Amino acid sequence: MLDFINPYYLQIGSFILINILLAVSVYVPLSSGQLSLGSAGFMGVGAYTSALLTINFDLPIMVGVVGGACVAGILGIIIGIPSLRLTGVYLAIATLGLGEVIRVIFVNWDSVTKGSIGLTGIPQIGRELLNLVRGFGFEPSMIGLKNNQFVFLMVFLLLFIIVMATIWFVVRQQNSRVGRSFSSIQMDEKAAESMGINITYFKVLSFAQGAFLAGLAGSLFAHVMGYISPSDFSYHRAVEILIFTVFGGSEVIIGSIFGAIFLTLIPEVLRFVSEYRYIIYGIMLVILMAVRPQGILDIHLLSRVKGLKRSKGGMR
Amino acid sequence: MVLEIKNVSKNFGGIHALRNVSFSIKQGEIYGLIGPNGAGKTTMFNLITNIFEPSSGEIVFNDENITGLKSHKITEKGICRTYQNIRLFSQMSALKNVMVGGHSRSSSGVFSSVFRTKAQRKEEQELEKNAEELLKLVGLFENKDLLAENLAYGQQRRLEIARALASKPKLLLLDEPAAGMNEKETDSLYDLIKIIQSKGITVLIIEHDMPLVMKLCDRIAVLNFGEKLAEGTPYEIQNNEAVIEAYLGKEEEEEIA
Amino acid sequence: MLLEQLINGLTLGSIYAIVALGFTLVFGVLGIINMAHGEIFMVGAFVGVMTTGVLGWPLWLAFIASIVVTGILGYLLERMTLRPLRGKKGVSHLAPLISTIGVSILLENLSHHIFGAGNKPFRTEFAEISIEIGSVSIYIVQIVIFVISIVLMIGLSVWLSKTKAGKALRATAENLETASILGVNTKKIITLTVIIASAMGGIAGILVGMAFNSVSPQMGLAIGLKGLAIIILGGMGNVKGAMVGGLILGLSETFLVAYGDSGYRDAIAFIMIIFILLLRPQGIFGSKIAEGR
Repeated sequence: MLDFINPYYLQIGSFILINILLAVSVYVPLSSGQLSLGSAGFMGVGAYTSALLTINFDLPIMVGVVGGACVAGILGIIIGIPSLRLTGVYLAIATLGLGEVIRVIFVNWDSVTKGSIGLTGIPQIGRELLNLVRGFGFEPSMIGLKNNQFVFLMVFLLLFIIVMATIWFVVRQQNSRVGRSFSSIQMDEKAAESMGINITYFKVLSFAQGAFLAGLAGSLFAHVMGYISPSDFSYHRAVEILIFTVFGGSEVIIGSIFGAIFLTLIPEVLRFVSEYRYIIYGIMLVILMAVRPQGILDIHLLSRVKGLKRSKGGMR
Repeated sequence: MVLEIKNVSKNFGGIHALRNVSFSIKQGEIYGLIGPNGAGKTTMFNLITNIFEPSSGEIVFNDENITGLKSHKITEKGICRTYQNIRLFSQMSALKNVMVGGHSRSSSGVFSSVFRTKAQRKEEQELEKNAEELLKLVGLFENKDLLAENLAYGQQRRLEIARALASKPKLLLLDEPAAGMNEKETDSLYDLIKIIQSKGITVLIIEHDMPLVMKLCDRIAVLNFGEKLAEGTPYEIQNNEAVIEAYLGKEEEEEIA
Repeated sequence: MLLEQLINGLTLGSIYAIVALGFTLVFGVLGIINMAHGEIFMVGAFVGVMTTGVLGWPLWLAFIASIVVTGILGYLLERMTLRPLRGKKGVSHLAPLISTIGVSILLENLSHHIFGAGNKPFRTEFAEISIEIGSVSIYIVQIVIFVISIVLMIGLSVWLSKTKAGKALRATAENLETASILGVNTKKIITLTVIIASAMGGIAGILVGMAFNSVSPQMGLAIGLKGLAIIILGGMGNVKGAMVGGLILGLSETFLVAYGDSGYRDAIAFIMIIFILLLRPQGIFGSKIAEGR
């Protein structure tokens, strides 16, 4: 019974959730006008930090995940403070360079990172959770689930909670003094500054939040997969994450969520798409920029869908 | 003195945009800054708000030297400005624009915003209430939910003033607020600035509309080629030989008289 | 040994310089970082492999074929991805960057599908021939690469400073509006710039293929990123900066490999980007302060 709890579907669901986190990690800096191509790098920092903490020091996964996200966030601050003097294109290139440096370090720091082979035997969240509930005398079979069904279900639910909390955080922040500062910087940096907004502070804040979220997604990725290698965090990953956000709609958070869901599902549903995925991505980016640079979902579309006449700034 | 400009100069790669300019503005007055295009008026605004730092000289605000202070700090001190070519947050509603203006008079951060603490909710309510009042003051209350970019030109100018007022400035800098306005709009602008003055806010205004300047200002400084040509009451300026010669020109004389 | 490394470094550096020139021309005129330049360069290299290896054409014909193909790619890039974004209201300055990223992953993965993922050898009949001067041996390939690069650089400099089209290009780079008021057909100049930059990428592709005797779909990304690093080092849109920056990067990479840790060779460029951007964002030769205010 309960066959509908299919590990394969749950696995895809988990990937979608991780990709939503990654898309949001691009969206947040973008909401203050910062395009970061370093998300794959920050993701890698989170993944490696958490994996190494749990493998080498036997720390609980939760400590590893929080540690991974924090290290990525702190790196975001360190990189952010000086490089946010740079605008637009320069920042994009600097973060792209950063991402590559991080990857090269993963490949070459053999003694710690095991080089291009990567790390294996990373403790997996699902098993840990299973052990935990067993400690309380609970067996999946008691609710009619097989062990692996239970494991995948728990991972999915845990990720779901984390993603929901993240979205809740970002939306609440958006509709506040902090969010208004982000969007005013995005729209006109100089005017924002002359309204008393400390633009350096808010830019670093949004950039570091993005780094933190990417690091969080990375460390969760490591503990879901159980193995990681530098190629998981290459430039292609950064581009893929960027596409989630840009395709779905970079002005609204729901755009990032939609982009991550849609673009993760499509290659799974349409197998033939999978092979040509990047070719399609490439064409899509070009067409999008020319036809609909704000992405599929935007404020106008959303307010029409909801049939609301209220302030279009309200949903940002 | 609210603002003292002391021997301020600004060079841009060898070009003197401003040369040894000094003037001071008293509490509560409306002070005009006039002069032909390229005389350095907007540069003076940019120096006061530290978009550029002066090459030499000092800017003193309420007995405090603010030269070289970061722009956003200067706003916190109580100086706020509008721009000659309107710089609103075009994709935000009028109300939100004004609420951003209240940034320096509010303090909630990430934590209080996300968890909606009591203090944060109170602050948001106050920001909104204050913004609505300012929109009423400039006559835009009915349009508060429109995006700034969808407002008419004259409305955008007034919205910029409301946004600046939201920072509760002691000194308001207006850069050609009447530009592009018709006679009726200019009249209501006059009333608005007078109301602002009556609230105890000192106003420094750059304006090309001479009848408005002469009617509005308590004192005026004339800039020409980056130097101060004259300073005085509107009456003195209108009768200053040098000013008439250098700036007002023959054709505008009648208009002023 | 030292002299040999110096020669290796100069050879590598002169190729990098050519790649960087392609970036810098487009940036100078359009203010856009063409993220697809590396992949256009890669296509040029494959054209070289196909024409010399499969069709057995002589090298000079391979160069011409590569110039033609990459020139056409440049034209298409301008017409289909850059021009639609230009002067359109509400298009963010990040749009061309994202759009050219799109072209880059399209080209990379197309070549991946057509040519496969692995490295293709690039054989030239004089690949193994070297001359001995004292204790130093220099490969003919190195001399060919160096000479072609230098000729190209000098040619470009002369063209920019002496010819009418070159002057129009520089005027457009200086200020697009002013140039168009002065009667320069800026649309034509922009198209020409992108074509020339792409064709230079094509030439560089063959040179790299010859230098490393290997061509792969991934090389566009690797070399392209280095080109980016160089123009940031030398100053965006600065022709002289691109040349000197290329040589600096080529030499430092060669010496790192020879006397240090070769694994970090590819990191030099990016570490350079980060340091330059933090210390002197306008680059070594840049005079303009990076945008901002």
